[in-house]
Amino acid sequence: MGLSLSAVAMLIFGSVVLYGGLAYFLYRAIKAK
Amino acid sequence: MVDNIAKAEYWNSRFAFVMAAIGSAVGLGNVWRFPFVCYENGGGAFLIPYFVALFTAGIPLMILEFSVGHWARNAPPEAFKKIGKRFEWAGWWAVLVPFVIALYYVVVMAWCFSYMVFSLDLKWGSQANKFFNNFLGNTGSAEIFGTISYPVVLGLIVIWLCVFIILYKGVNRIGKIVAITVPLPTILLIILTIRGLTLPGAIEGVSYYLTPNFSKLTDVNVWLAAYAQVFFSLGVAQGIMITYASFLKKKSDITNNAFIISLADAGTSFLAGFTVFSVVGYLASSQGVGITDLGIGGPTLTFITYPTAISLLPIAASFFGMIFYIALLTFGIDSAFSMVEPTVSGLNGKFKISKAKATGYMCLIGFFISLLFTFGSGLHWLDIVDHFIANFGLVMIGLVECIILGWMYKLSKFRIHANKTSDVKIGIWWDFLIKYVIPLALCILLIIAIINNITNPYLNYPWWVVIIGGFAPCIAIFLISFIFMKIKSTKEDI
Repeated sequence: MGLSLSAVAMLIFGSVVLYGGLAYFLYRAIKAK
Repeated sequence: MVDNIAKAEYWNSRFAFVMAAIGSAVGLGNVWRFPFVCYENGGGAFLIPYFVALFTAGIPLMILEFSVGHWARNAPPEAFKKIGKRFEWAGWWAVLVPFVIALYYVVVMAWCFSYMVFSLDLKWGSQANKFFNNFLGNTGSAEIFGTISYPVVLGLIVIWLCVFIILYKGVNRIGKIVAITVPLPTILLIILTIRGLTLPGAIEGVSYYLTPNFSKLTDVNVWLAAYAQVFFSLGVAQGIMITYASFLKKKSDITNNAFIISLADAGTSFLAGFTVFSVVGYLASSQGVGITDLGIGGPTLTFITYPTAISLLPIAASFFGMIFYIALLTFGIDSAFSMVEPTVSGLNGKFKISKAKATGYMCLIGFFISLLFTFGSGLHWLDIVDHFIANFGLVMIGLVECIILGWMYKLSKFRIHANKTSDVKIGIWWDFLIKYVIPLALCILLIIAIINNITNPYLNYPWWVVIIGGFAPCIAIFLISFIFMKIKSTKEDI
């Protein structure tokens, strides 16, 4: 059994929003220094 | 990390504040509570309300609390008093709720403390579930009290002592501690996640975790649990972030910090979900049952899945097990003292009780009340108190904060205040969320959930159990908040 399409979509959404978002705001914080 | 400048305390650097706030936000709420709340509320079905709650309420409220704390430069009771004398009770309410959470939070840490010792010889063997119940002396019911678990009491003494020492020494020690306690558990969580994902059957667990069941989205309890989890985990609606932000220097960034802390916190929860659900999938597959038929859940879930994952590590399982539980303890300790700190700061601000004395009193009171959860029925009482304090106590504070600050005060003042020093500027959308979206959502959820809880007692516990464990703490906190407001402030130091 593999992951369903909706599970893959959730995985991508969660990763991009949370980890991508975190990376973006950390980048902004470092740049602002 | 904070300097004592005259009477005011400030964080030394932005890094110190961000690490301390992440340390406070990231804790057992992510690695212990999130997985079991997610499991109980349908796995993937829970993630959608969770993300909605995070972006519509969690992050906006964190920005609000940072602005209030930074503007007022005081603990929540004094901060709300600055907004309007009649609102002081809201500040007390906001600091007393996390103190009640701390009462059972330290018990979970005491379990972790015992498991750290058990890791030496992987004492739980192949039956982590049975072992956990034996360890607690679980009576299987909230009505049969059973006997005290002395290993848990020992753990409690150690944890409360640690909280006392850290707070007694002042907030300036916090930054040094969190510099180690934040990254270490994250690394270990990643190691366990990798091991979990390589287990047979793990994919079924992950599939349950990620696949959204859209029919669950009509269940109000799932939405309420999502908002409560976001508040519990981020540390908003608990006075913690107001207190921490009050130590920030004048030109400190507010909005960007709020985003970093919130996303780091939610990211940790999301990661912990993979660790736990991969092991849940493995357990279901090895027992030949479905994920929902495993017969585990609630606060015990992670005390079954993590030990199982540790035992299955190919090398140095004992070593990694011990390090993992040390890491969990360090994860938890940041949150534990941050839950006690607002009450201590509040008592210091209002009654001028020295921070050292206030810390001593609160830790001692906390220790004795925590003992109630060390009995054989403690697990059930812990579950009941957690359900009501998180779902109703925290959510109500979130609602009250929005009403007071959004409707009875000039909210735009806080937006302008945050924008003045922040790299990322917030717009009118933030006012709209605080004034309309969050109060409306929380109001509807609370009304329906209260009706549900009255018509169907939580987990079918007897009424007297629900009243004592659920309603009584919420009502007691509410009354104490008003009593504290009515007592006149002391002018001289005690």
